[in-house]
Amino acid sequence: MDFTFRNKKITGILTVLPHKVVTFEEEMGNYSFSAAKSMKLKLAMGYKEHRIAQPGQCSSDFCIYGMQYLFDNGLLDKDGIDALLFVSQSPDYYMPPTSNIIQGHFGMKHDMLCMDINQGCAGFEIGLIEAFLLLEQPAINRVVLLNADVLSPKVSDRDRNSKPLIGDAASVTIIEKSDDASVIHANVRMDGTGAFALNIPAGGFRLPSSAETAVMEEDAAGNFRSKDNLVMQGDNVFNFVQREVPPMIEHLLEQAGVLKDEVDWYMFHQPNKFMLHKLADKIGIPYEKMPANIVENFGNASGVTVPTNISYNLGDTVVDGIRKVCLAGFGVGLTWSSILMDLGNMKFNKIIEF
Amino acid sequence: MEQLKKEIAEILEVADLDTSKKFTDYDEWDSLAALSLLALLDSDYNKQMKVQQIYDFANIEEFCKAIIAK
Repeated sequence: MDFTFRNKKITGILTVLPHKVVTFEEEMGNYSFSAAKSMKLKLAMGYKEHRIAQPGQCSSDFCIYGMQYLFDNGLLDKDGIDALLFVSQSPDYYMPPTSNIIQGHFGMKHDMLCMDINQGCAGFEIGLIEAFLLLEQPAINRVVLLNADVLSPKVSDRDRNSKPLIGDAASVTIIEKSDDASVIHANVRMDGTGAFALNIPAGGFRLPSSAETAVMEEDAAGNFRSKDNLVMQGDNVFNFVQREVPPMIEHLLEQAGVLKDEVDWYMFHQPNKFMLHKLADKIGIPYEKMPANIVENFGNASGVTVPTNISYNLGDTVVDGIRKVCLAGFGVGLTWSSILMDLGNMKFNKIIEF
Repeated sequence: MEQLKKEIAEILEVADLDTSKKFTDYDEWDSLAALSLLALLDSDYNKQMKVQQIYDFANIEEFCKAIIAK
């Protein structure tokens, strides 16, 4: 499904990362693989270190810390927020919505919309599209998009497929109406027949967590995890990404009438370096234009990887200047989505630690 | 076919590939090797496969025949 938007822009991105750094080597001993094999994996995937939340820290804590920072530094007006979107797969509670909890924490105005959206790897793009749609309304002038995931507690320490790459993080993105006439092109695609390619089997209403779901079991590759843990079908995910993402990007550029090399940056979701390089090869994009260094430095925090990527790799270049960027997210759902837009003259674009 | 065998030998890090063996007979076969093989099939042979399907072949020779025959 294709979308076009006008007169809207991102005016700020703040990424909030946990203080705690965990290195690949620290965790290597937990896996039932030889050190030599694990080092080979580290090299191929680009694993180095990742950021992990402290026990007890939830997604909303990172969002609240980030928003408070923006209020304190005069970068965001609390009373000027017309919609608060919280995109996450790790909400504080089943009920109430985490976005309402955050709104209540700050005593924000009642005349506004709070909405939780359950999306993961494509959560930044889905959140942006939702924000752009809301901004079509006369009553909505400014949307705050929160992307946050603290999923590390759900990944087994003995799962070499997922543990080395998981990261926790949050981001606060401000989207506003603007007189900028440049067109934003976007698209989104979904395939629920692949819904379980990435999943946490237990802990919802279908299969509540119990002593049984906490039992650790070994898979064919030698990883140990329970039904309470996140599980990823690596082969299915890899095939899905290589099959679906290149035609989506081709379509987006065609729709916009923009050539591949006219795009300054391809800011994609960050599953691992291996997959991103294969993707760049297939689409025909030089590696220099598609940063792949988020997993090695911070880990993959689901929908927060694209804002982290923008804050870390573009920094002040989109505060002082303007860049044409192609954003893309792909994964859990299965959901895949991409956006072509100008990023620039932002009020802020930075990383803070919590 | 020879090119594919050469590439499999590289993934398994062996000088002489014995195609009468299964992938799992090789020490270097693990989830990373499997992913490397899937990536090779996708990029060079325009074919997508699940890891389980690789295990269904009697040996590496049969796997190679199936990929080349397509």
